[in-house]
Amino acid sequence: MLDQDLALSARGVRMEYRDRTTRDRLTAIERVDLDIRHGEFVSIVGPSGCGKSTFIKIVNGLLPATEGEIEVRRSKTGFDHAMVFQDSSLFPWYTVIGNVAYGLVCQGVRKKEAYERARPFLRLVGLEGFEDKYPYQLSGGMQQRANLARALTVDPEILLMDEPFAALDAQTREIMQVELVRIWSQSRKTVLFITHQIDEAIFLSDRVLVMSARPGRILADITIDLPRPRVLDIKRTPAFTAYEDQIWKLIAVQLTATAQGTAA
Amino acid sequence: MTAAARPERITRRRHPSSGRPQIVLPQEPLLFGILGFVLVLVVWEAAVSMGLVRASLMSSPSRIVAAAIADFGSGVIWPHIGVSLLEWTVGFALAVVLGIPIGLLIGSFRRLEYVLDPWLSALYATPTVALIPLIILLFGVGTNSKFAVVFLEGFVTITISTITGAHAAEKKYLDLARSFRASRRLTFRSVTLPSSVPFIITGIRIGAGRALVGVVVSEFIAANVGLGFYISLNGTTLNASRVMLGILLIGLFGIGIGQAIRRVERRFDAWRPAIH
Repeated sequence: MLDQDLALSARGVRMEYRDRTTRDRLTAIERVDLDIRHGEFVSIVGPSGCGKSTFIKIVNGLLPATEGEIEVRRSKTGFDHAMVFQDSSLFPWYTVIGNVAYGLVCQGVRKKEAYERARPFLRLVGLEGFEDKYPYQLSGGMQQRANLARALTVDPEILLMDEPFAALDAQTREIMQVELVRIWSQSRKTVLFITHQIDEAIFLSDRVLVMSARPGRILADITIDLPRPRVLDIKRTPAFTAYEDQIWKLIAVQLTATAQGTAA
Repeated sequence: MTAAARPERITRRRHPSSGRPQIVLPQEPLLFGILGFVLVLVVWEAAVSMGLVRASLMSSPSRIVAAAIADFGSGVIWPHIGVSLLEWTVGFALAVVLGIPIGLLIGSFRRLEYVLDPWLSALYATPTVALIPLIILLFGVGTNSKFAVVFLEGFVTITISTITGAHAAEKKYLDLARSFRASRRLTFRSVTLPSSVPFIITGIRIGAGRALVGVVVSEFIAANVGLGFYISLNGTTLNASRVMLGILLIGLFGIGIGQAIRRVERRFDAWRPAIH
């Protein structure tokens, strides 16, 4: 059983797969242990290809773990986790409201009721008035807002966010970070957030986990002791840059190791 | 502001490289299309009346119009048009109604597809024309054999295209459905089906053309009514004007089908950015 205040607990999660061309067995992630408390915002950062996306897909049930256990608390509505995908993955053939209500429709809620229940979440993410637009009519940032609203609509215990702002331009990304802080403080969801942007992880999180190069392991678990609510100015404070340096050094060592590994 | 919204009908704009002012007329594609069409008719008519081409072989626009007035006036052409239309409509409607669900069914069950795919591929590769004698043996020389030919032409094309469509769903959308624990049925309805629509419509468009070929060819081979019969009969009696009239009517029918399909396609296209 899960501890009272825990939302997610992962124990010894390992994942192996067979390379399609060389037929070699490769280890994507190695013995990941992780506890996330209820209401906590936790990010995983790491070099590209380190397996952080693989890990979140395992939590989401899209990939099988080779070994280990993951326990997730169920929310009162019965949904344990919902994913905010990297590319928004909105169905192009549904309108915005149809996409946002999709998770509810999957639970068997009637379309009309699902749309009604989805509406407040559209308002929360700032998409009011765009209900009947199709995804191609939205900007990248707006598509990610809809993506987030869709996950929030099913009221999950934990939000899984897989590099949701990776495809956005720098300004939109910063706006979305601020928006996410606002939405998170209003919805009080537990969040597991994957990113390769160090500043993004620090700005958003209560804790930042640094993952090693493949096979991915958790190298460090850093508590971000910065005041909330957070505003963009915080990125220019000495405390913030100190965290950036600390995490960057951990990742840089990994990158050098990978480079040498490739050369050898 | 767009060019269409401007008050003046003729726009002058400077060509970036030459520096000469360029005149752009309204509706240019239509204008020049009609111009080219009229030009061919005029040259054709002139060539025949000057004796450069034999009217008995090539007819001429004025003779075709005369033939049309005669045959529409007397009403003898209506049964031919009516029967060909009926053959195409019944055969093709059956092909659509059966081809789409059967294609989706085959596409949804891997092993069923392994069993049936060689047969469908063989049927698609074999020109249906080669099967017409067999179909006449089975269904007789009447309208039933025409339905069968048209159906087969449309059905094989639509089914194969629909099977491809059933596999067309992108992984990210299937992952999304799985992530929200959509039932198999909902996944089909929300992901597989919408992803297959462009393929189904392509199948319908190609199948419609092949079905029309089926109408004409099967009427060439054995029939006593229909536009194919009308063309081949007037061909053997050396009536070039009526042959041309028959060809023209088949062509118009083909264009009509194309337009109708485009209209259906547009109804499914609200979610796609307009490509104009």
